[in-house]
Amino acid sequence: MKLDPFAVEVIRHGLSAAAEEMSLVMTRSARSPLLREAGDLSSAITDAQGELVGQGRDIPVHLGAMAYTIRELLKVVPAATLSEGDVLIYNLGALGGNHLNDVKVVRPVFFEGDIVAFAVSLAHWPDIGGTWPGSYLAKAIDTFQEALRIPPIKVATAAGVSDAIVQFLKVNVRDPESCEGDLLGQIACTLAGKKRIIELCKQHSKAMFVAALSRLHDLSEAEMREAILGLPDGVYEGEDFLDDGGPGDEPARIHVKITIKGDEATFDLSESCDRVSNFCNTTSFIAKSAVAYSARIMSGRDMQQNGGALRPLTIITRPGSIFEPGLTAPVAAGNHETSLRIVDAIFLAMQDVIPERLSSGGATTSGMLSFAEPRQDGSWKMLYEVHAGGEGARHNRAGCAATRVHLTNTSNTPAEAIEANYNIRVEQQAIRWGSGGAGAYPGGDGVVRSYRILASSMHLTSCVERKLIPPFGLKGGAPGETARLTLTRGSEVIDVEGKSNLVLQRDDVITIEMCGGGGYGRA
Amino acid sequence: MTNIWEIGTDIGGTFTDIIAIRRDTSETRIAKVPSRPHAPVQAMLEAIEAVGLRRSDVKRFIHGTTRITNAIVEERLPKIALIATKGFEDVLEIARYRRRDLYRLDIAPKAKSLVPREMCFALDERLDHEGQVLKPLAEAEIERLIAWLKETGVESVAVSLLHAYANPVHEQMLAERLKAIVPYVSLSHEINPEAREYERTSSTAFNAAAMPIAVEYLSELEERLPIGAGLQVFHSAGAMIPISAVKRRPLVMAMSGPAAGVAASVSIARQLKKSRVLTFDMGGTTTDVCLIVDGQAEMADGKMLGDRPLRQPMLAVHSIGAGGGSIVRAGAGGLTVGPESAGSEPGPACYGRGGTKPTITDANALLGYLNPETKLGDRIGIDVDAAARVIEPIAQGLGLSLTETALGIIRVANATMARALRRVTVERGIDGRDCTLLAFGGGGPMHAAGLAELYGITEIVVPAASSAFSALGCLTADFSFLQQQTLRVALDGIDLTRVTQRIEALGEQTVVPLLANAIPRDSIQIELVALMRYAAQADAIPVPFTMPLDVDRLRQDFLVKHRELFGYATNESCVIESVRAQARQPSTTEVSRPTTVLRAKAAPKRRCSFDGALDVMTDVIDRSAMTSVVIGPAIIEDAWSTVVLPAQWQATPDSNGNLYLAKVAS
Repeated sequence: MKLDPFAVEVIRHGLSAAAEEMSLVMTRSARSPLLREAGDLSSAITDAQGELVGQGRDIPVHLGAMAYTIRELLKVVPAATLSEGDVLIYNLGALGGNHLNDVKVVRPVFFEGDIVAFAVSLAHWPDIGGTWPGSYLAKAIDTFQEALRIPPIKVATAAGVSDAIVQFLKVNVRDPESCEGDLLGQIACTLAGKKRIIELCKQHSKAMFVAALSRLHDLSEAEMREAILGLPDGVYEGEDFLDDGGPGDEPARIHVKITIKGDEATFDLSESCDRVSNFCNTTSFIAKSAVAYSARIMSGRDMQQNGGALRPLTIITRPGSIFEPGLTAPVAAGNHETSLRIVDAIFLAMQDVIPERLSSGGATTSGMLSFAEPRQDGSWKMLYEVHAGGEGARHNRAGCAATRVHLTNTSNTPAEAIEANYNIRVEQQAIRWGSGGAGAYPGGDGVVRSYRILASSMHLTSCVERKLIPPFGLKGGAPGETARLTLTRGSEVIDVEGKSNLVLQRDDVITIEMCGGGGYGRA
Repeated sequence: MTNIWEIGTDIGGTFTDIIAIRRDTSETRIAKVPSRPHAPVQAMLEAIEAVGLRRSDVKRFIHGTTRITNAIVEERLPKIALIATKGFEDVLEIARYRRRDLYRLDIAPKAKSLVPREMCFALDERLDHEGQVLKPLAEAEIERLIAWLKETGVESVAVSLLHAYANPVHEQMLAERLKAIVPYVSLSHEINPEAREYERTSSTAFNAAAMPIAVEYLSELEERLPIGAGLQVFHSAGAMIPISAVKRRPLVMAMSGPAAGVAASVSIARQLKKSRVLTFDMGGTTTDVCLIVDGQAEMADGKMLGDRPLRQPMLAVHSIGAGGGSIVRAGAGGLTVGPESAGSEPGPACYGRGGTKPTITDANALLGYLNPETKLGDRIGIDVDAAARVIEPIAQGLGLSLTETALGIIRVANATMARALRRVTVERGIDGRDCTLLAFGGGGPMHAAGLAELYGITEIVVPAASSAFSALGCLTADFSFLQQQTLRVALDGIDLTRVTQRIEALGEQTVVPLLANAIPRDSIQIELVALMRYAAQADAIPVPFTMPLDVDRLRQDFLVKHRELFGYATNESCVIESVRAQARQPSTTEVSRPTTVLRAKAAPKRRCSFDGALDVMTDVIDRSAMTSVVIGPAIIEDAWSTVVLPAQWQATPDSNGNLYLAKVAS
């Protein structure tokens, strides 16, 4: 089929617009503050084979993993078993997943009898059952302790949403009301995507649509190959560490060996540590997601992020390692901690080759605190809050204060919204001045936020990395300050572990001081 | 014979449009003069001369301006101070943590704080979310603040205290004391009485920064055009407001320019009885679109300006950074249009003022759509050869002819525009294909048919005076004032008496500015909208209602709207987040067909290209002389605008000079 370049561009616009519209529908109809205030959700469109072709302006780590979510699904649920009106729900790590809280809702889009695309909604559910409210258990021995595991199930068919499945989900989570609203929002979101995809097919014909998707992959592949060709051939190694969880609970090593050869690049993560003793294990899809993001930064180009851009990249992980810990290992935090450490290791590997495309180490941790308060009826009210640190400095500018970096991009929940909805008072929400590393260009400063508990008890989960090992500086810039987490109980100030589950009491004040970014160049 | 003319002007980045109407005879005059960014008042006075009037002839003068918006976007703002609750003084620097681009490290991830850190003051006081005072504001603290302000010598301050939307007591205490030492004080509970500290503080800081600029500019205007209450500006919510009311809240002018175009569209939509209209205002650097349903433009709670939130009720105009000047690029990743723009300087290559990069306007010129004899605003001619030179490299790269390439560029540009149309319709759960496209601005009538074809729209209206349409809006809009107040009450167990009192009080407040302008009470209508959500949601959706308040009806209407928007509704409890009241005196201004002539005599035919019809000798029709149906392909021109009518399209004029474009029935 003859494809003119303009039709391809028109379809590209249509796909991006459709994915953005999906996220808008989701945010506006969501119930959980984590979705409606912080925006911990993503939307994507794949082609019939499950290759990513369109994405919203959401969260890079989700989008990277979603490049595999449908491909892996189709291996266990053949396309032939799907019908018009079906909507699937699942969260298993093995199916292009990241952690159990991130629930995928997927709708195959049929046109003239065939599947032409999939509309995918990913949303972080604030609780999905398991041992601890919020479904993050720092010392979990396996993923069964973490949360409810959902294999691909048809939550809706042409006959409508399955009430039985909705009930099954509701009785297994701690905030069933929000859960139902959020789930219906996700289904509505995929419906919005479907409508737009069908419009594109009608406008351009099915054959043209399908050919254009294939062409979009080719264009991104060409762009990525050209970019890699511009990098000098060679083998580059870099490593960084998670604070703990390695042998003897020592820092856990994340190592990458990058081989650039012609227009292809291999990222070998095999020398990274074995399965860790906490919830920082992750899946190979998260490793791929982190590499895809890093490769895009290394390319220095603005390109359509799709399956084609991944073709010149080979990503190797080792069975038994932190990236292939087995199907039942706990993985809740690896999604946003371990993934970011890969980016750090890649930047360190490339620091002498393309320093002007990179930045010094930033606040590569979610700095997550999640609060859970029991209600009278036994359900729980959840607040899941991430914190921003300093951005790493660059060759020509200082790092920005209070910014989410790289694979993450969720927002804070405003203090005024927290206080109106929870028995919590935000006592302080400030910049942690001077926490960025010194340098010719200094790193950005982190934030400091204090929460006073006004309820008789509150369950807390912490997931804060960079408490021990600071974000690095480049070219002689100093590292940023490490993060701190403290509990003030009466006159006592207690250091809180970065990865922990504990019960707070009335008038406890929990304070997080986020790490600063690394500086660039000697001060 | 003096004091009988009413004038509307729209001050854009490149041109100032003016339209004058004589009330007794309905005579209408239009002109276009170059804008003067550094002497905007001078440009307005020149515009009055350009329609052959003296200042003493003017009874009312209403203008829409981008002055405040541009000052904000270009960061030419005066130094201000922020006073915030202790512990929260870094709120602007922190923002919401999010970065603007996912994959670019070369640009700063967030906009710089509007107030540098040394100008942020931490005030020791605290309220909770119900407005209870947790820590009173002490006299000593106020004195400490006053001493600090005197030392900084700052002229304008923003006061944004935590939970001030729930109880303004501390902000009001400060207002009393600060008046004596600072000329301009902006209080968050007045500017934006809504929860979420970053958005409220950002809006208040914007207001504080705009105040000195607005006061200086408006005072100059008052001095040079002393017509008292006849001097009005257009506000973001789509109506006019006297200058005295704007000086304290200049932020209401932030969307003044685009809002005027929408207001004109509202008049046309009502006049033509079109229930669903999409406005398509394509200019040189931006394109604005807005949805009008049943004669009312959709409202939004705010927008991002220079990557910072500005939150207050305004017309839901969606602006995209693509217009005639948007630059076209071809690379390994395909062909893209914008977001970079050649702007007004140097502008598109075909303007012959040093532009060297291919733009959408160059593609239009190359296709023969622009009259090579016309001088835009008396100074810009069209150089088709220059357009060909800049498009040539793209054509070569693609292995296509110049004409095919130019047609392709227009299609890609239209895809960008379609995205904007989609955005405003899906936010309201409406199918854009059921709407009438109302096309105006320099590029709107040129792109309308192609865009409609792409989007599946079947009816287009190009209004009379389409090139000075925003200026027209200033004259035809209603006189109105709008206020919004947070109620946050659940429908279950609602205290009907109390809520009714609050809504009625809000309505009466809204009427005050109109009464002050000698508008009789019985000609004022009050329209009410409840912003409703499920208890657990954050975003509220607008549900119109009337008094007396019928709770069951309101709940039903909310469920219907929710289903329209999201495809489902549940039985969860719902909440009235806030109520918006708009007092309005409907406009009675009718505009007759304006006298406009072709500046340059058009040749009867010109060589043009369309999708599927390359290099055809095409009829060029003088729009002012058009009385019967024209079948495409054709170019329809007047002094400042061009309507492109492709093959299989027809244009039908009505008696008021509006053009209806539709596909020829096959």
